[in-house]
Amino acid sequence: MSRRGGATAWVFAAPALLVYFVFLVYPAVSSLWFSFTDWDGLSPTYNVVGLKNYTSMPSDPVVVQAAVNNLIWAVVTVVVPVVLGLALAVALNGKVRGKPFLRLIFYTPAVLPLVSVASIWGWLYNPQYGAINAFLRAVGLNGLAQPWLGQDSTALGATMVAAIWLRVGFPMLLYLAALQGIPHDLYEAATVDGATRWQQFWHITMPSLRPAHYVVVALSVIDSFKVFDLIYAMTYGGPGTATQVMGTWMYFNVFQYNQAGYGTAIAVVITLVAIVVSVPYVRSQTKEHAI
Amino acid sequence: MTSVAPTAALPETTVAEVIRPNRKPRGGVGATVLMALAALVWISPLVLLVITALRPLADFVSHGPLSWPHSFTIHNFTQAWDIGNFATTYRNSTIVLILKVPLGVFVSAMLAYALAKLRIRFGAAIMYTVFLGLTIPIYITIVPVFVMARSAGLTDSLIGLIGPYLAFGIPFEVLVLQSFIRQIPDEIVEAARIDGAGAWRIFLTIVLPLSAPALVTVLILDAVATWNEFLFALILLNSDAHKTIPVGLLNFQGQFSNNSTGLAAGILIAVVPILIAYTFLQRWIVGGLTAGAAKG
Repeated sequence: MSRRGGATAWVFAAPALLVYFVFLVYPAVSSLWFSFTDWDGLSPTYNVVGLKNYTSMPSDPVVVQAAVNNLIWAVVTVVVPVVLGLALAVALNGKVRGKPFLRLIFYTPAVLPLVSVASIWGWLYNPQYGAINAFLRAVGLNGLAQPWLGQDSTALGATMVAAIWLRVGFPMLLYLAALQGIPHDLYEAATVDGATRWQQFWHITMPSLRPAHYVVVALSVIDSFKVFDLIYAMTYGGPGTATQVMGTWMYFNVFQYNQAGYGTAIAVVITLVAIVVSVPYVRSQTKEHAI
Repeated sequence: MTSVAPTAALPETTVAEVIRPNRKPRGGVGATVLMALAALVWISPLVLLVITALRPLADFVSHGPLSWPHSFTIHNFTQAWDIGNFATTYRNSTIVLILKVPLGVFVSAMLAYALAKLRIRFGAAIMYTVFLGLTIPIYITIVPVFVMARSAGLTDSLIGLIGPYLAFGIPFEVLVLQSFIRQIPDEIVEAARIDGAGAWRIFLTIVLPLSAPALVTVLILDAVATWNEFLFALILLNSDAHKTIPVGLLNFQGQFSNNSTGLAAGILIAVVPILIAYTFLQRWIVGGLTAGAAKG
């Protein structure tokens, strides 16, 4: 198989590549162009304003808040689901009954539409009729019952709880698959040597999971930058601007405040961060898939 | 490691003897009960949703969300179905699914085949470019996509969704399918070529059938992603007649914010097809996610 496919190969590659370039690459690059303009999103004309959209960002308090929220979101909704997912995977990999059923349960939230996850949690958080406040009152913690999504202090945390709920399943599945690949005799030898379960976890399980850690964390980080649906459908960025993230603030600028140029600049910034962070993962995937 | 003392204390025991007494109690009831409790907590929002959707609103309001219903009804579902416009949004989501998913998987399989078996020039560069798409958030493309759709007269049309949906599905589909097709032995492809089969025949009669497990997985995952997609649908569709389920559900949520039982029923109507499909097809979903991500 030394000969190259030549024209035939391109015939096969063309349809997908065409669609990919027209509807993903071209729009992404052309957003870069819009970010240098003062386009309002409606008028037929606009002016090129250079870097003005970018230089005015630091003085927009909402952008600063959105960037901080994105950072918090990235840390919390990566670390917590990855750690919980690993714990579940280790537990499920031990001698537990009903493994397939348990696995099914923990991954279920991940297949739901994000809008429905937002609806479900908005319903649970409802100050009057929500189950969470009802539960707190039932166990005598009346003081803790509060409008979770309606106040600055708890709104972001409340949305992240929903995100954690739906994102634990993915690391769990990947870790479970990786755990099943660790040879059993490693543990048997360690047991003979008298290593405790805790020692076995740190000295056998964790090192063996290194490739899985890499993939799980990379994919979770990539996912965290995309946050939009959950915030939009759950809090609409509010109360006030307490839960705005770059994706939603971009949307509001474009479709509510007629600032398409400024909005795309916000999107460009967060996308560039996402790309820079994920390039090592993309590179390693390409290497593994290369012929 | 403090493993010296116990090892010295057990010089003559065999491996099997050490492992059995150590492991058996662990496998027992304790771990299972603990995991079952955790699972119960995890699934409780959905259980509560089902119970609430099946009780009359008056019962819910007077006894609270955590009480066991005094009576059951399906009235919430009929009411939510009508007011939520679900007949329309179901139809629209199904149309998008049928138009998009098979086409997307087919063109992705073609590209994956070119990358895996046809030794395409610049293969590594193409893969790098396509995999980079995994990292691109949808919102960076919405302004130009909106402009393109408007100039093509495709705003507020389901057809306008197809292009962007295809493009954002391609990276993951190619990632999974390329790694699967690559494992098809070259000898099989080569033998068919010597027998005179062209690239198309090889693709359609050998590569696709042999890739069936990966194709099924990708079809299911892509169907879930398509069914759930929200942002493009939000910006491109504006009349009620053209909305898909996620956008329809969002409107519904606004209207029913004070009717907890009706809201629960509406959410369930929106997610039940996904839940049923997931329950029956989970083997494929799990296999595909781990194959696509872990093995690479």
